[in-house]
Amino acid sequence: MRSLPALLILAVAIAVPIAFGGNSYVMGLMVSALIVAGVALAWALLGNLGGMVSFGHAAFFGVGAYTSAILSAKFGLPVPLALLAGACGAALCSIVMLPALRLSGPYFALAILAYAHIFKILATEATSITGGSAGFQRFPPLPTVLGLDLSSRVGSYGLLVVLVALCAAIYLAVKRSHVGTALRAMAESEDATRVVGVNATLLKAWMLLLSAFITGLFGAMNAHIINFLEPDYAFSASWSILPIIAAIFGGYRTILGPVAGAVLIYLFDQIIAKELLPVGHEILLGVLLAGMILIAPNGLFGMFQRKATKGAAHAAA
Amino acid sequence: MLELLQQSLFSGLLVGSVYALVALGIALTFGAMKIINLAHGELVLLAAYMAYVIESRTGWNPYAAIPLAFALTGIVSVVIYLLIERIREHRELNSLILTFAIGIILTNAILLVFASDVRSTGSPFLQDAVSFGPVYAMKGEITAFIISLAVMAGLWWWLKNSWYGRAVRAVSSNRDAAKLMGIDPRRVELAAFIVAGILASVAGVALYTMSVVQPALGPGLTIKAFIVAVLAGVGSIPGVFCAALLLGVTEAMTVTLASSALQELVGMVLFLLVLFFMPNGLFGARARRG
Amino acid sequence: MIRRNCLATACLAATLAFAASARAEDITIGAHMPLTGSLARSGQAFNEGMQVALRVFNESQSKHRIKVTVIDDESQPAKAVTAVEKLSSDGAAAIIGGYGSNIVGPASDTSNRLGKVYITGGAVSDELVQRGNKNFFRINNNAGYQRGVEGLIEEVKPNGVSIIASTKEAPMLLAKGLEESLAKKGYKVTLHPFDPAITDFKPIINKVKLQDKSEIIFMSAYENDYVGIIRAAKVLKPPVKAIVGAWSLATPKMYSDFPDLMQNVIGTTFLPFPVEVKDEEGRKFAAVYKEMFGKEIEYASTLAFVETMVLSEALARSADAGTLKSGGLLAEMKTTNRPSPLGRITFNEVGDNPNFALSMGQHRDGKIPLVSPAEFATGKLAYPAVPW
Repeated sequence: MRSLPALLILAVAIAVPIAFGGNSYVMGLMVSALIVAGVALAWALLGNLGGMVSFGHAAFFGVGAYTSAILSAKFGLPVPLALLAGACGAALCSIVMLPALRLSGPYFALAILAYAHIFKILATEATSITGGSAGFQRFPPLPTVLGLDLSSRVGSYGLLVVLVALCAAIYLAVKRSHVGTALRAMAESEDATRVVGVNATLLKAWMLLLSAFITGLFGAMNAHIINFLEPDYAFSASWSILPIIAAIFGGYRTILGPVAGAVLIYLFDQIIAKELLPVGHEILLGVLLAGMILIAPNGLFGMFQRKATKGAAHAAA
Repeated sequence: MLELLQQSLFSGLLVGSVYALVALGIALTFGAMKIINLAHGELVLLAAYMAYVIESRTGWNPYAAIPLAFALTGIVSVVIYLLIERIREHRELNSLILTFAIGIILTNAILLVFASDVRSTGSPFLQDAVSFGPVYAMKGEITAFIISLAVMAGLWWWLKNSWYGRAVRAVSSNRDAAKLMGIDPRRVELAAFIVAGILASVAGVALYTMSVVQPALGPGLTIKAFIVAVLAGVGSIPGVFCAALLLGVTEAMTVTLASSALQELVGMVLFLLVLFFMPNGLFGARARRG
Repeated sequence: MIRRNCLATACLAATLAFAASARAEDITIGAHMPLTGSLARSGQAFNEGMQVALRVFNESQSKHRIKVTVIDDESQPAKAVTAVEKLSSDGAAAIIGGYGSNIVGPASDTSNRLGKVYITGGAVSDELVQRGNKNFFRINNNAGYQRGVEGLIEEVKPNGVSIIASTKEAPMLLAKGLEESLAKKGYKVTLHPFDPAITDFKPIINKVKLQDKSEIIFMSAYENDYVGIIRAAKVLKPPVKAIVGAWSLATPKMYSDFPDLMQNVIGTTFLPFPVEVKDEEGRKFAAVYKEMFGKEIEYASTLAFVETMVLSEALARSADAGTLKSGGLLAEMKTTNRPSPLGRITFNEVGDNPNFALSMGQHRDGKIPLVSPAEFATGKLAYPAVPW
């Protein structure tokens, strides 16, 4: 019964290419939405388990993208390995952010934002490696594996569905492990957990690393799908903003919330909001985000879950 | 070389005074409520566009727009406060996201109304050059500098001598104690947001007279202001002023000694270093206590 | 009985549709333009130029009627790619591309993959024509801007040039290209890159004044930067003899917004203002543009006008030959050879227009005569002449 929403989402994910496989527009939208979904998942992991709000996930996204693109173009690394290297690169760069873990909530959020700016400027200035602001193109697209062309829209979509599901599974595993329990206790009272011997900062560091890894992976995926990089794009603030909106909308304390939120928000923005307001349609996203924080800070899935637990409690009584 | 350094020191100080005006608003609401208003940059921008409206419609000096700009930023600032008030759980972080969302709304509202054209003052007086020995500036920059000093002095006096000002300081340093003394923190917070609105209106008009405005400017202003607030160590007005001047001068010196392409980098690195190694800021010894 | 009626109605409708199509054959093309986001200003102007071109084309003959579907790409590459996919799946016969090499690059790749001809007037990066993308055509390129500025500099022979360039893509490309080519010709060149977030240009101008001592400041940037740079220069008054800039500078709009700053400033353009268009087509364009949008034609809208006319004519030729459905458009595009308000348009084997070169216009009391190169000049270059 509890896995019903997950099964439902999986069924939709399989139905989409069957229904719209030939329509590259819809598939293109879904591919972009899933990229955001992956980052939203990573953002929510850090927020939910680590208790940290980040405004700078674009840093990991951009580093992942550039690492993978450069390794595959200049060093001939096969794309699947380059993707993994991109994710590791993002995780590595999160190490320089570790000092920020000592900061309290808002300071952490904005310190990460500063890091994102710094990485963007470095990517612009390191012309010999990144091509600078002129951009970097001509790196290999996603390969064909077992006869399935992953660079086609349906292929990319399939791979992204698998990756998002995999990341969600990792998230779930962490959440259910001892680490997850400790982290939840920490969120209640950091001092109390320190007394019983939990190293809070170390656990938070692991969450930051994991979140960066996942974000970098999707950044790398996006690079090989779009096949063009420039600092303004790879480190664009929208890679920080959209996942926040998606995760808050879907419910950042759940695992499915950010994923479903990303797809719904992206499709709403591109299909409905753009139709209503050709210029400045992001204003509707702003209204949506503000409204969610005020009315339902736990998001759509949060409300759903709360009702479900209430219902279960009633049934038990 | 000396001439170069003199000029960039001077230019940096002038730019810094506007950073100070923007940062004071953020520092004030942060002090009173422990909330970072990420829409503050957009408030400033809103005021700048009011200056544009007044100047282009009537041909008056942009500074004549301050009352109108204040009416608008004051109302928006109060609305932001009332919305933050409604947040029930995790107020510190959720308010961050809420004000961020308000920032998105304001940026796009400005885009819808004013389109993406760049705007700046056309006043010949304000654009006129003036020199002090070896250093040069636009009259608009000198005007903004003087007004910034005056506003800061006024704010300092208000915090020191008026009942509300003292209440803001009391709530900033110890909320519970202030409550016990019979201060209603809600009224004090509201006052802080209104004063932040006034500061934003002056800052916006000053910005319009000495620089170029466009709708996408808001988030950048907020970040600069936040950097200044962190450098200052929240809580002291002279601290904010010194930190803002320091940031302005550092940026100008980076341009002179290295390249402008690196100026933002230097600001950000400075910000992180202070954040990590001097948690009380450069100028606020007693700032983040309590 | 009912079914038969339906059938009859369907037949009738089909016949009518066929009759209509015999009179004017509807061809739909697609366009992605940055109507919002960081490139919105250029995108809006492009869109207007394109709309005028389609009206001019559709009124000029009655055989074909070309319609366009425009999608806002929000100045973002992923959105542009999605836009091309949507336009293609909705049956667009060809794609008109937006603005910015970073956006046009991925979008034209997608278009190539879907086998659609793609034409642009807003992407200048050299990489775009080195990809072997056979459906890609463009009417302008970085080399054209560079030639325009170089021509002017060769005429006045300054002792040195200070280039002040935004670190964004197109400005940096032009700046680096000029730095290299001018240095080769023996000029002293100093490049000052600046962060787009810069607020005060005085420290840079002061370097030009005290260290470079060049006679020309060249600005490779955008409108807001031009305003900041010229203001700083007006305050510090470096001993330069001319202030020169790239796109979107020698425009009547800049003059009407910032009249005190623009006097004597020189920028790339191809039309003088007030528009003294010599050719029939340019006059027609200016007239229809004024009627539709109530303003004078400008730089970006002219690029869009020309690219749309070129594409429309190729579409018409291909439709006449009956090869539109079988990929004949590509061959027709390659045979393009026509004069235009931008000069002659032809495409080489990689889809670039080798004839593209710009003139330089100078702000003079609200007018903008062309001052360089000599063969297109409508006025005399004021030199030395600065805004103060």
